[in-house]
Order: sequence, then C-alpha cells, then structure tokens
Amino acid sequence: MKFKTLGFATTLAMAISAHAQAESILNVATAGSENMVEYVNQYLAPKFRELHPDVTVRVIGTGPGDAGSNAIMERLSAQKDAGASADIDVAVVHEKPVGKMVTDGLLAKYAASADTASLVSSDKAKNALGVDVEGYVMPMFQSQTAWAYHPALVSNPPKSYAELSDWVKENPGVFGYNGIRNGMSGVSFVNGWMYAFTGEADKMMKGPFDPSLVGSEKWNAALADLKEFNKNVTFTPGNAGTLDMLNRGEIGIGPVWVDMFYSWQADGRVNPEIKLMLPEPGMPGQPMHYVIPETSKQRDLAVEFIELATSPEVQAHGIVEQFNWYPGIDAKYLESELSADVWDKLFADITPEDLATKSLSFPLVGYFDAILTSYERDVE
Amino acid sequence: MAQATAFYLTGLIMNASRFSGLLLVAPAVLFIAGLFVYPLSYSFIDAFTVAGDAADAGTRFSLANFVLAFELYGDDIVFTVLIVSLSAVLIASGAILIGGYITLGTNRFLVNAVRILYRWPLFIPFIVAAQCMRTFLAKNGLMNGVLIEMGMLTPLETTGFLDWRGIVITFVWKQLPFVALLVTGAMASLDRAGIEAARDLGAGRLRILWQIVVPQVMPTLIVALVLSIVTMMSVLSVPVMISGHSPTMMTVQMAFRVNAYHDYGTANALGVISYLITGLVAWIYLRRGVAGKGGEK
Amino acid sequence: MTQASFWQNQAQAPKQTLAARIGDLAGGGIMGALAVGFCILLLAIAIFGPLTNLLLWTVAEQWYFPHTFPARYGFDFWARVFHPDGNAFVSLRYSLVIAVLTVIFCLSLAIPAGYALARLALPARALILLVFLVPQAFPNIPVHINIARVFYQLDLHGTVGAVVLVHTLHGMVYAVWIATAAFGAVDKTLEEAARDIGAGPIRTFFTITLPSAMPGIIASAIFVFLESLDEFTGTYFVGAPEITTLPMLMFRAGMEGNYQVASITALVLLVPSVLFMIVVERFLRADVLAAVGR
Repeated sequence: MKFKTLGFATTLAMAISAHAQAESILNVATAGSENMVEYVNQYLAPKFRELHPDVTVRVIGTGPGDAGSNAIMERLSAQKDAGASADIDVAVVHEKPVGKMVTDGLLAKYAASADTASLVSSDKAKNALGVDVEGYVMPMFQSQTAWAYHPALVSNPPKSYAELSDWVKENPGVFGYNGIRNGMSGVSFVNGWMYAFTGEADKMMKGPFDPSLVGSEKWNAALADLKEFNKNVTFTPGNAGTLDMLNRGEIGIGPVWVDMFYSWQADGRVNPEIKLMLPEPGMPGQPMHYVIPETSKQRDLAVEFIELATSPEVQAHGIVEQFNWYPGIDAKYLESELSADVWDKLFADITPEDLATKSLSFPLVGYFDAILTSYERDVE
Repeated sequence: MAQATAFYLTGLIMNASRFSGLLLVAPAVLFIAGLFVYPLSYSFIDAFTVAGDAADAGTRFSLANFVLAFELYGDDIVFTVLIVSLSAVLIASGAILIGGYITLGTNRFLVNAVRILYRWPLFIPFIVAAQCMRTFLAKNGLMNGVLIEMGMLTPLETTGFLDWRGIVITFVWKQLPFVALLVTGAMASLDRAGIEAARDLGAGRLRILWQIVVPQVMPTLIVALVLSIVTMMSVLSVPVMISGHSPTMMTVQMAFRVNAYHDYGTANALGVISYLITGLVAWIYLRRGVAGKGGEK
Repeated sequence: MTQASFWQNQAQAPKQTLAARIGDLAGGGIMGALAVGFCILLLAIAIFGPLTNLLLWTVAEQWYFPHTFPARYGFDFWARVFHPDGNAFVSLRYSLVIAVLTVIFCLSLAIPAGYALARLALPARALILLVFLVPQAFPNIPVHINIARVFYQLDLHGTVGAVVLVHTLHGMVYAVWIATAAFGAVDKTLEEAARDIGAGPIRTFFTITLPSAMPGIIASAIFVFLESLDEFTGTYFVGAPEITTLPMLMFRAGMEGNYQVASITALVLLVPSVLFMIVVERFLRADVLAAVGR
C-alpha cells in the first residue's frame, strides 16, 4: 500500500510537470510501424485538437506485426477478466486478430454511428478471414504485399509463381523471404504459393471451410514443391530483413509490404531504384482497422476521432500523400482531393487494374492456421 | 570471563542466525513469490493443460503440449543449448583474459586502454546490439564494406554472418563486458602477495593467471556465467533480428506460437523446458558449492 | 604453504636479476608489448565497429547499397524523435525516474537477502537462489499479462510504482546473485576480529561487511539500472498508456527496422547509463580504498 501511494505521488508529480491539465484524454493504441505513432501525434492529434481543444490525444505504439496487435488484444482481455474498463479508446490493429477480438466480445459495434461509414466499400471491412466483423471496424489503410526487385540484379523478373518456381533453379539464392516467422511478408508469400499451386484460391478465401482440402493431394503436392523451392532461396530475418537484404543487394527479389516499402524508401533505407510488381495469380493484402473497445469510457470522442481519420481529406493528404499507402475508404472519394501526380505516384508500379485482379485476401482462419502448421511440419 | 561471554554470545548468534537469516531473506522471497511465481503458476499450469474433450468442457491435465513442443521444436531446443554453451565458453575465456590482463598487466598505458575499452557494449541494450550487428555483419554490411574499401577483400569473397554465428557473436559482444566486469572486480580484490611471490619466483603471467588467479575468482566467474546463460536463454530480439534460418532459438518459437496461433499451452511448455535447462545449469553449480557456503564453514 | 611462510621463503630466495626485472616491466620486451598492443587494437575494433555502425545510423538520412557509408547525412531523424508533439522528453524522464527507483527498491530487498544467503546458514539455500533465477529464466510475455491482470484488480495499473515493481522483478536476479557472491567473498577474519573487540553484529555489518562487499553491490546496481532501461514488455502491459518509456520506443523502432530512430534512442539512453556508472564508480573507488589494508 505504501508503494501504491508512492507510485501515485510520483505519477501525479510527473503528470503535473509534464502536461498542462487537459479536461479529458483520448487514448489511442496502434500496432504497426512507428510512423503510425508519429502520424497520430503530428498529424491527427493537432487536427483533432482544433475540433476539441480540451481533449489531449495520447498514443502508444505496441510494435510491428501481429505481435503488436496481439499485445493490444491481450491488454483488453486482461482488463475484461479483471472487470476493469478498457483504458484504450481507439485501437489500430491488423486483420487476423480483429476476428478473434470480435468473437471474444472485446469490441464495440460503433460503425453505424460514424458519419464516414458509408465511404467504406471494401469487403474486408465486413469480413475478416471468415469472421463477420461488420460494424466493428473501419479500415485505416489497405496494405498489400508484392514482390520488390532490383532491376540491375533481376532484369526480367518472373511474372508468376509458376515462373518463379523454375526461375530459382537457374538463379539460386537471388530470391529471399523470411519463411513464416517474424514477418507477415513471408506468410503472405506462402499463402500466395498455396493459392497458386492448389488452384483453390477462391475456396480458401471465401469458404466455407472444408477440412478435406487440408492434407489432400493438391495440398501436399504444393507443399512438396515449396520444400524444393526453399532449397534455392535465401532466408531473411523478417519483413525488415527482406528489405535490408534487398537494399544491400544480397538478394535481388523478395516479398514486401507495399506500405513498408514506401516508408523505407522515404526514410532513405531502400535504394530508390527498386521496383514493385504483383505476380499471377496475386498476393494477399490486409487492411489495418480502427476499432473501439467495448468498455471504453470515451466512446463518442473515439467515434469522432475515427470519423476524422477516415474523412476524405485526411485519407487523401495523410494516408495517400504523406505515406503513399492505399486508402481505407473507397478511392473514388479522394480523387477530388488529390492532384494527378500524387495519384499516379501511388500507382506507379502497380496499376489499379493489377490491384483489381491480383489483390487477394488472406485465407479463412481455418486454412490460415492449417497452412502455417503444414509448413512447420512438412516444409521446415 | 570476557572470553566466556564472547563464546556464549557467539553461540546465541549462531543459533539465531538460522531464524534471522530467514527473516532477512523473507522480503525478497515474498516479493518474487507474490509478484512473479504466483502469476507464473498460471503459465506453468497452462503448460500442463489442454482444452477438454467434447464431453468435458473444462480443461484436463495432459502432456500434449510438451509432446507437440518436442515434435516441432526439438531441434530448436538442441540449437539453443549449443548456441548458449558456445557463447558461454567464449565469454568465459574472453573475460578471464581481459580480467587477467588488467590485473597482471605491467604496461600502464595498455592496461588503462583495455579498462576503458571493454565496458562499452554493456550499455547497449540487446535490441540495439542486434540491430547494429545486423547491418554490420551482413554480406554487404559495414564490416565487409570497410574491408573491401581497404582492399583486404573483394566483393565476391565476402561472407555474411547472419546465421548462428551472428547470434553467437552478438551474445558474446554484449555479455562479455558483464562477466569481465565482475571477474575483474573479483581479481582486483585478491591478495597480491601470492601473485607477487609467484612473479618473483619467475612464473610466467599466463601461468599465474591460470593456476593462482582463476581458481580464486571461480565463484564470481561461475555466478556471472550463470546469469549470462539465463539472460541469453531469455532474449528474443537477437535471434529474431539476426538469423532467418531454421533451427532458431526457443524464444522465437515461443513468440511465434503465441502470435500466430494464440497457442499459449505450447508456448508455456517451451517456457517450462527453457526454465528447466537454466535451472539445471544453475543447480549444478550451486551443488558444487562454489557459490560460497554460508555459515557452514 | 600458508601466506606467512611464503613470505618467509621469499625473504630468503635469491633476488631477481636486474635484466630480468626490466624485461618483466616492459611486459616481455618490445615484441611482447607490440603483440599485446595489437590484440588490444583488435579488441577496440571488435567493440567499436558495431558501435560505429550505431553512430552512423544516428546521422544517416540515406544509406543504401552500394554505398559503404551513408549517402546523405543529417539530423532529420533527431527532429522526428524529439518533435514537440511527440512524447520523447516525457518518456525519457519516466525512464530515468523508474530506473533510479528500481535500483533503490531492488537493492533494499537484495542486500539483506544476499547477506543471509552468503553468510548465514539457511535451509534450502540452493533452492532459494534458484527461485530468484525465475524472472529471467522464464519467458516473460505470458507472465506479464498475468501480472497486469492482478494489477488491474488492485487498481495499481498505470502507476510508476507498478512499473518499478515489474522492473525490480527482473533486476532481482542480478542483485541477489551478485550480492550473495559479494558477501561471500568478504574476508571473515576481519569480521571476527571486529566481533572479538566487542562490536555487535549490526555494527560489524555496517562498518566492515557492507563496505567490503560494496564493489559487488555497486556492480549489481549498475546492472539493475541497465536492465530497467532495457525493459519493454512489462512496462507496456503494466504501465501504458499512462507511462511511456524510451525503451518502448527503442524496442518498436528496432523490431521494425527503423534503424535511425532506434539508434538515436539508444544513444540518448546511453548518456544516463554511462553517467550512472561513472558516478557510482567514483563512490566505489573511495570505498575500495577504504577497505584496502587487509
């Protein structure tokens, strides 16, 4: 108890010295890259303050990848188990954990009360890997995986998974990815492989979940091919590892997240000459979603915050112009806000037609887990 | 009379020491017990339970998590043990050499140089050390880049160290100052008389180091090594950032189980295995009594 | 052969020749000095090579292959990290306050425990020492989640005290084990001498035992401080969003490969760490001098 007092006293002292006393605080937790934290602090928060001068927006980042989203989910679970209300008001999480968060009853169904909900047309806002999440989420941006390659090292990149499979035999070690660990770019590649080599992409993405597909002949053949394929590739330590090695010319081509790729180029960590491409039959992408915890005490403020973040103006100038990411709301609402060259820059390497046909989603949770498990058992 | 009183008082203290000993240790132990062991017990129990069958909605005791852990990650467990052992050996040798040189070295300038030099990696957290090493040890990283600029290597001859060697190098780089600091401190507190005597008799410094100094600082060295081993077994950032290969260290697999499958059972089972390994190492050294004997002398 | 008789023998042994003495002073001659010097140079490169990498990243605005060194230097990322709308300064302050409080609390628990484990007869001594190993030996995330759950129930969540408690957990391993070793190495004859003169056990402890063990205790203070500055997951689960620390920023930036931000944060955290060490070592030297003379 003594320490609690000491703790409170110290926290209070620090709070007084650190912040002007605001009337309320909006807590935002965001998984993903650090620039998403900066985005809230330096772009969204000042805009929100114009609307609500008495509200301070406080943001914490939880780290990249599913681990970061997991941390948010764990936190909300722990609070729910303890009967405490959530101390986060807005969270930005990846697609895979969102389904579980909805089924666990951690999230509020807020979208109906958001003005900008009608601007969202993507299917991914209704269904997250087979789980119905309609009304619980609004996308912040859409991310897509693609193959990045260095034209000097790979002058004529393979255009499809099948071509790649043959290509690596003649060019061993030039393709690099991170397997299924420590980075979703590798996981995305493996999923794309399974789509391409089993031919059951539609079934795996839309369902229904049919357990007989797992372990069937096509399935095992695809995995066997992947095992062969792995003998001629370089393994990288993760998403950043792939970009790193690509940057240093240690690999010539590899799967990357488009948003991460552009951020790295802007930060000077990736050679400006490296290009992107989408292979046949396509590669998965996922949105990052805005969600509101069920027991948040600032629901109305949180909804207003998300309305601001998903407004056409913010999506155009923040998401597209500043970061070069694909918007969360329907792109047609942004055309009036953006100049032609900003728009073209977004689609320089990957055209809207490409995206329309080759941007896939991740498979249903059942297939997703089965792919990972099979990889661990049979390929590694 | 004074002697008798002293004897009596000493006797009292010796008998009371057991009780007072427990009293002194109690706050620390209770702290760990309440704040860590109690939450940890949930994890331990989780490792030994699986969801019940259809008929029984609860959970039941089972070793299934451990079976899965060994089946999928057996080679990672072996890999972890090998990496940590190799690192420990290298760290011990390096620390003895550094500590020995500082204690026995005669050239004041060089000794001071070593003393200032060796500590720096201490202040670099593991995650930053891993990041440094990642771009330093890579095939076209800074180290090879500089060697190429100096003309010592051609671009075709460069090798990358981003595999198990990178993990060992990072561990040794980061933990060596820790062990060296403790060992140097222990060596500095030694009685110089024995060292001087041996020196005057003409013994070489390496011999003095090995036969006189090291045996006397063994307890400190062992303690430092046990702590280093425990630390290395629990680090996640280094293997994640340095090596993309399989097999990898157990911590990576634990994180993977949790993040990809939400499978806390197997993750906790791996945790139990990890704890048993480190506990075994610590136990062996404690049983050999090298950490001091308390009041038993 | 005891020390005493060794000295007696020494007095009777023939003196070393002058040439041999000079040879020894020069550390085995010029070649010896050069060889050692070369080894030290290698050591310096091994230590500062990666650190140079760190420093380069703090000022690199553009760095990609085939450039061996950054293509463009600048302080862009410093501006980003210390942006007025960011919370870098608050985080830094929290980190330091928490680290210092952790050291104080941790040592207050560890010193009595170390003394008892080293000097007094305790049942199950080995077992108790093993218990202290647990927080480091068992991977943290599941446990931190459970601790957070407990803290939510006790309404301790989000306070500096809660974070200090979690950091103390990790620091305990170092503190207790090193304190035990330090107290174990104290020369008992001095203590016995003090007792014989009539000093009580408490007085003996504060005037003889504790100062002798001080070097080890100072070392453990340093490690607890560093460990606290390195801690991320516990702080997140137990302290965020009220408490943010600089290590959290460093961890996130490191994991995603934002080398510039991670290196800058590491450099910023390096300064208090080095200062802490210099300050306590100054204290250490004085006490070591006082204890010398046995």
